[in-house]
Amino acid sequence: MVNRRHWLKAATLAALSGTESRLLAAPRKIAPKADSVILLWMAGGMAQTETFDPKRYTPYAAGLKSDRVLSTFPSIPTILDGVHLSKGLERIAQVLNRGTLVRSHRVGDLGFILHSRHQYHWHTGYEPPQSVAVPHMGSFISRTLGPRNPDIPAFIDIGQNLEIGGESDSLKAFHSAGFLGSEHSPFLITDPKDAVASTRPSEFLGLSRFENRYRFYRDLIEKSPLREGGSSFQKESLARSFDNAHRLLTSPAAKAFDLSLERPEIAAKYGDSRFGQGCLLARRLVEAGARFIEVTTEYIPFRFWDTHENGHTRAEGMKATIDGPVSQLILDLEERGLLDRTLVVLATEFGRDMMTEGKPGQEVKNQVTVPDVMTEPKHYGMHRHFTEASSVLLFGGGSRKGSVYGETAPERPCRIVKDPVAITDLHATIYSLMGIAPDTAYEVEKRPVYATKDGKGKVVPGLLA
Amino acid sequence: MFYFSCLFLAASIFSLHAADFVTDIHPILASRCLGCHAGTKAQAGLDLSTRESALRVLSAVDSSLLARVEGRAGRIMPPVGNPLEPKQINLLRDWIAAGAPWAELNQTKPTDWIAPLSPRQVIPPAGSGNPIDRFLGKPAKGLGTDNNFARRAYLDLWGIAPSPQHLAAFLANSRPNKRTQLIETLLADERLYTGHWISWWNDLLRNDIGVVYHGDRKSITPWLDRALRTNMPYDEMVQELLNPIGADAPEGFLIGVNWRGEVNASQTPHMQASQNTAQIFLGINLKCASCHDSFINKYKLREAYGLAAMFSHEDRLEIVRCDNRTGAFQEPQFLWPQLGEIPKGASPSERRYFAAKLFTHPENGRLARTIVNRYWQRLIGKGLVEPVDDMDAKPSNPDLLDWLASDFAAHNYDLKHLLVQIMSSGAYQRSDALPRRISAEQFDDTLSAVTGEWRFLQTGASDHAQLGRDWQFKSTPLSRSLGRPIRDQVYTTRNEDATTFQALELANGPTLAANIHRGVMRLLGELPPAPESIYDSRNMRSGDAKIEVPVTGLKQVWLLTEDAGTYDLDKAEVGWKDITLSGAKGEKILEAGSIQTRIGSRRVYDIEAGYDTLRAKVWISDASKASDINTSVRFFIFGAEPDRTRLVKITGASPWGPAPRLTGIDQTIQYFWRGLLSREASTEEQAAARKLFPAGKLQLEGTEDLLWSLLMHPEFQFTW
Repeated sequence: MVNRRHWLKAATLAALSGTESRLLAAPRKIAPKADSVILLWMAGGMAQTETFDPKRYTPYAAGLKSDRVLSTFPSIPTILDGVHLSKGLERIAQVLNRGTLVRSHRVGDLGFILHSRHQYHWHTGYEPPQSVAVPHMGSFISRTLGPRNPDIPAFIDIGQNLEIGGESDSLKAFHSAGFLGSEHSPFLITDPKDAVASTRPSEFLGLSRFENRYRFYRDLIEKSPLREGGSSFQKESLARSFDNAHRLLTSPAAKAFDLSLERPEIAAKYGDSRFGQGCLLARRLVEAGARFIEVTTEYIPFRFWDTHENGHTRAEGMKATIDGPVSQLILDLEERGLLDRTLVVLATEFGRDMMTEGKPGQEVKNQVTVPDVMTEPKHYGMHRHFTEASSVLLFGGGSRKGSVYGETAPERPCRIVKDPVAITDLHATIYSLMGIAPDTAYEVEKRPVYATKDGKGKVVPGLLA
Repeated sequence: MFYFSCLFLAASIFSLHAADFVTDIHPILASRCLGCHAGTKAQAGLDLSTRESALRVLSAVDSSLLARVEGRAGRIMPPVGNPLEPKQINLLRDWIAAGAPWAELNQTKPTDWIAPLSPRQVIPPAGSGNPIDRFLGKPAKGLGTDNNFARRAYLDLWGIAPSPQHLAAFLANSRPNKRTQLIETLLADERLYTGHWISWWNDLLRNDIGVVYHGDRKSITPWLDRALRTNMPYDEMVQELLNPIGADAPEGFLIGVNWRGEVNASQTPHMQASQNTAQIFLGINLKCASCHDSFINKYKLREAYGLAAMFSHEDRLEIVRCDNRTGAFQEPQFLWPQLGEIPKGASPSERRYFAAKLFTHPENGRLARTIVNRYWQRLIGKGLVEPVDDMDAKPSNPDLLDWLASDFAAHNYDLKHLLVQIMSSGAYQRSDALPRRISAEQFDDTLSAVTGEWRFLQTGASDHAQLGRDWQFKSTPLSRSLGRPIRDQVYTTRNEDATTFQALELANGPTLAANIHRGVMRLLGELPPAPESIYDSRNMRSGDAKIEVPVTGLKQVWLLTEDAGTYDLDKAEVGWKDITLSGAKGEKILEAGSIQTRIGSRRVYDIEAGYDTLRAKVWISDASKASDINTSVRFFIFGAEPDRTRLVKITGASPWGPAPRLTGIDQTIQYFWRGLLSREASTEEQAAARKLFPAGKLQLEGTEDLLWSLLMHPEFQFTW
């Protein structure tokens, strides 16, 4: 097992100094069905009725009453009998038989819409604020399972720029390993095209200068007149952390980060959007041995899935962005024999609706303004944030194949009418498929913090193969 | 190290399906049973604190524990207070039926230590010199060298390693009391002292630059800056934080971190205030007790609510246990009611007034003990009480702690006095002090001081920028990797771990590489001074602006369109209009009409003699105002090729003196060793370093490699 922990542990200072958070409940043994997770994050609130849970279609016409509109796209058949998706997802429709479509995911209702706060909740399983810094799911998995390949960081996060103005600090608050310690932080790659630069000596330095510099540094430490004894520990740990970094930067495994090495005809199938390239990078990293990868369409207020106006055309564009890459990712993983051991999850912080803000029957302050009667095409779309229901896709990694789980009502407010799945239980399912008991806990400030809130997450049997 | 031996959950019997021991059963046992049935003096010889000793009453067939709590046999248990609720009894029954799975919740080793509340006057042992050393004895291995001391003192008081000149002056000084003198001199510079300590206080008070959680969160930076600069007595600081009055008051502290929307009952602003004030000022963890009576210490749910009620708008608070309303109410009450009560009917502002009084009550010795222990930990590397947030634990030296605390209080809670007291002791100056990792801010500021390259603070509203220290900027991937926290929690200590991510950022990160590159260029005199703009629109989000600037004598003009936070660069429509020169030669149109420019682009025009004025307009189209484009741009005109990293004019002084111009290899080696490691390079080290300059000539690459290697050196990354 020395190898397994090389990358992160490699007996770094963390492990020795006792500051590493301690595993409390040695988890009950669960046989893992998946070795890796790819989380495809539809940031900004993906409208379920415009994507994976289409309802009655009403075309745009000036003078159309807003409350008549449930979907702004016609639906299309899929490879599964009787299952329809929204137009624009034709390629995903053809791979649905490899996975489970969950139409009854209910995210937290936090009383007030704030994207970053809901994203924090989804990614950590805990509603902010918390009295301790809770870790991102990827960090929890990284800490618990370690890397699959010692030269590939266990948790890689692709596509999100953390400096987006007002909500930057809220984003940083959950793109973090929290109390698990920075060794389990996400390895952040904002633009997949730049991934290679972060994993090899910078062009500015070049490999030979990098090596020379490193040799000189080692030499200096050897020559340092620092006292022995008390000092050796610090010297040693610091040097070891540099060794680890050096190993990654010169490792052949780092080639996985280099998208230019991909066959052009395959790369082209992912399209040249940042999300598409992110999916391609995710596939390469899973092949190379990454543990948890998140690829996001990126959250920037009022952009991408965060549709406050022109929702119809925006949804059209976003579907075009995801349809090819997501389906290609599934096909590529399958072709390489990796899908069975890779759990792919597509999710979002909440759904959308034209009329309902928050959950049905409860007034939320500062609602997005929606006119009663549409006078311009920009009014046509799902502009409110709907916390009652959202859609999730699961592929591979021990998830059920070719099924639809849960159901929402055909008429507004399109509540969940069958098999609601809460975040805690969805997380319990993901953790369990990775072989991590939902009540696995780490100690912080002498108390346990669990994988799922209070350790109470329950696996949803209907999602399992 | 008893605090490491805390919670151990025996996993094989840890079951989800029955009642959960940690969240369901232990709270019942802890709150209703263990008061009598624990330890060697357990009532009826029944010890319910371990599974082994409790098993005899937990038979799945006829549990006598169940019989007692249900009142079916013998005296009903618990004998005082209400009987257990049916729900609690059901939980116990399920748990026993499931085989009574247990988790060891062995928080602290049994100890008879009870932390005193009152201050305690302690007379230091007889002798002369710093009283601390009379408690601890002289350090066995003697005091560290002057070099060593100077490095520690500068880093601990100014946050920047001593410059070679500082170091030389101190070494040359032959006065016997020069160390204490140096401490006092460093403390006297309020600007540099504040520039260092404010980061520590920001961690403690979870304050940061520009952190907003879409609710009410107000920065207390101006107040904190003033408090440190004026050396506000600590008890006054606490009073102002707890009872902010007036425009400059730090009201943001009590407001806390509030995201929009509903929060868990234990995270309301007043509960946050309860947890934070207890942790920060009293070294008490009330986080557990904010939901239920704590399992890890003696504090109760109602005590957390009593403290919270002092900071609430409501007269009393309904106690919510684990998000269930209990129907019971708690009046405002301090953790130690013996120090005083809050009068019935006090208004919110009066309650805060009383809170401030009680926290700083002369009989509340905990206030001083907690802060002196934090300073001791920061300066010595390990608190007299560990962990520093559990001041109920036994100090390694209770007399010293109590003396330090009383001395601090007797000196009017003077934080600088406390620093002098600790730093002039042998405990601080010993040759074998615990190594302490330098902070992200110390790292960044020392690099800037050595190279003379500082980052600059600019705002969208001003056309001037100022040079600043690391704390004045938002955290970066580099500073976060070096341990600067996201301050939505209280951080009383920083993680000193060397991690792989950190090493990656240091070895290969663009931020540090760029800082080193520019810094070395400056040291070698290869960094041309940045040209100053002749026009700066400041940040613009809409509309247009007319420009008329003199261009006399210029050969070229550079027109820049820079981004200032636009969401969608591709959709933004911005540009210039009617760019015209005029002068003795008349008028010359460089570009007529509207010219749309890409954000980030530059346009360059030659200027012939005979023109002295440039007129133009800059504009942002109305279409660019859409919420998903959110255009924000800044237009500049320069009379020479601009330095993209220095577009805004810089005014004001540098935080540190200028760096020298380096011309020779040996001079460079000497400068770096002194400036970064505060010592001379050994002959061996010099020889190794010279090899970085194979042609025998000082050049950029070798100098960068040398600087990088010394920055990575354990001797630089720790204070020894």
